[in-house]
Amino acid sequence: MNHTLRMTIQKVEGAIIRLLGLIERRGFSVTGMNAHADEAAQRVEITVHVNSSGRSIETLAKQIEKLYDVHSVACLTAAEPRPVLKESVAC
Amino acid sequence: MSSKGAELVVRALEQQGVEHIFGYPGGAIMPVYDALLNSPIKHILARHEQGAALAADAYARVTGRPAVCMATSGPGATNLVTGIANAFMDSVPLVIITGQVPTVVMGTDAFQEVDVFGITMPIVKHSFIVRRAEDIPRTIAQAFQIAAEGRPGPVLVDLPKDISNAVPGATSIFEMRRSQHDSPDPAQLEIARELIRNAKRPVLYGGGGIPMAGAVDAFRAYARASGIPVVLTLKGLGSVPTRDENFLGMLGMHGNRAANQAIQESDLLICIGARFDDRATGRLDGFAPKARVIHMDADPSEINKLRHADAGLLGDLLESLAAMPTELSIEPWRRWCAERKAEHAWRYDAPGEYIYVPDMLRRLTDAAPDVTIACDVGQHQMWVAQHCHFDRPEQHLTSAGLGTMGYGVPAGIGACLARPGARVVTVSGDGSIMMNIQELATIKRYGLDLKILLVDNSSLGMVRQWQQLFHQERYSEVDLSDNPDFVEVAKSFGIPGFRITRRDEVDGAIRRLVETEGPLLAHVCIDPKSNVWPLVPPGQSNDVMMEELSA
Repeated sequence: MNHTLRMTIQKVEGAIIRLLGLIERRGFSVTGMNAHADEAAQRVEITVHVNSSGRSIETLAKQIEKLYDVHSVACLTAAEPRPVLKESVAC
Repeated sequence: MSSKGAELVVRALEQQGVEHIFGYPGGAIMPVYDALLNSPIKHILARHEQGAALAADAYARVTGRPAVCMATSGPGATNLVTGIANAFMDSVPLVIITGQVPTVVMGTDAFQEVDVFGITMPIVKHSFIVRRAEDIPRTIAQAFQIAAEGRPGPVLVDLPKDISNAVPGATSIFEMRRSQHDSPDPAQLEIARELIRNAKRPVLYGGGGIPMAGAVDAFRAYARASGIPVVLTLKGLGSVPTRDENFLGMLGMHGNRAANQAIQESDLLICIGARFDDRATGRLDGFAPKARVIHMDADPSEINKLRHADAGLLGDLLESLAAMPTELSIEPWRRWCAERKAEHAWRYDAPGEYIYVPDMLRRLTDAAPDVTIACDVGQHQMWVAQHCHFDRPEQHLTSAGLGTMGYGVPAGIGACLARPGARVVTVSGDGSIMMNIQELATIKRYGLDLKILLVDNSSLGMVRQWQQLFHQERYSEVDLSDNPDFVEVAKSFGIPGFRITRRDEVDGAIRRLVETEGPLLAHVCIDPKSNVWPLVPPGQSNDVMMEELSA
């Protein structure tokens, strides 16, 4: 199943690697990504397309939320975009 | 006058109330060691960085506060890795400080350079590379906060040598992020209350999150008031006293049969600070097949991770437990559980002449109920979990999630330092003790009152058991009959020791362990063919429990 995760993360050393590493370790493969650093806000907007082989995207989103550098996670699945902020992830 | 970065590190640690650091010096971390000479913080010199990390891990478990370990760059840092992973798997608050080569040569394969930030990324809660001396006070404070808040874990601070030596331009002012206090969701609380009120066969399934959340007393109060039978994971042991009438035993692969049966028959599983680990659940789709689930945890990502939760209660365990109903009508179920408990009570009348370890361990905690046991990994670890009595979780230090052979001796050291005057026994095996035997020197150096009960079956017992049962007795690389003379080894480190081989020597040995002042090693020779029973074969459900093979 394909999902799209849209995240805002702190622009600090290792934050992108930490994020991508977590996604792959938790059993998802990255099929595409786009990252854009907002120098003024010291943040990186990052969109990652992932493919799961049965693992729960909800659990992955919660594991991403736990990362200290992550500000927000939104999960868009299939054709139904439902951006959700950090407080209430729903996938 | 401004201080050097290394002095800021030490001052920041003092501000956090750090009393002990476990570590090993080297080139890149030398400025911090230099600054430590002017500090009241006591540094404990381990003889291997892994020993330092594991001792710090146990120190944190006993004190309930983040502990600190420190090493230099390169090999010093890589030697910490197992200890960091151990803390990560068991959610132990640890702050790890590693020296790093100067920033100008980072990324050039400089002498003793390794990307410890990258190596440890999957096994830390968070990590930092400090790039400016000004950032040191804030980074150390953040590291402590992150390590301790929510679900605890290890946090690494990598400190390049030029930053340790730099004098920051101005004293930094920082504001810590306020720690969040999350209350459980009222709607979920109501669902949970309703589930409990309607349950006929509820079970409390408690894990290491209970002591980590400081919720032992609240958990006991709820268990007592509700009368719901209790099973505990390896790391949750002691959350109710193991002699409590409501306690059915440890669950899982080497759990008590009554505990596993109760879970299999339950209609409501109240999981508290546990994570449905595979060693506890066996085959997941066969675990508690008739039960609905209430899951209380500090970590949102644990809810629904492995088992659907009908009610998920995040946040403060004390609040969640206090909100649960206690007026229940479950007497028939309580009687059923009590009957299973009596039916499957441990037996200690083992035939044969060899020393029977379960009986010896039971006698040890009978003779010294206050004892803290730092366990190594293997068959003896399971015997400790099954047969020792624990009144508090801090009495049982064990490497549960990672299963780190070599944990026992450093953990004993950490426990002795965390609680001076406490009675501490490391129970180890002949395979495990060799993994960190150099730490006998640490025991001697600091005059620690650590007793070592070394259970020796001249083999890698747990691996041998699996080869016997699941690999057609094809014993591959498990024979350790060429072990050194452990009593002589201990003596060479300045630690007295003695050996026993017969059952009639057990009581005398326990008396010596309990009554002797200072460190002591008891070398206990047992049947090389001893096995741990019962056992749920890997990949099976918990209702498939193997017992002793006939003949």
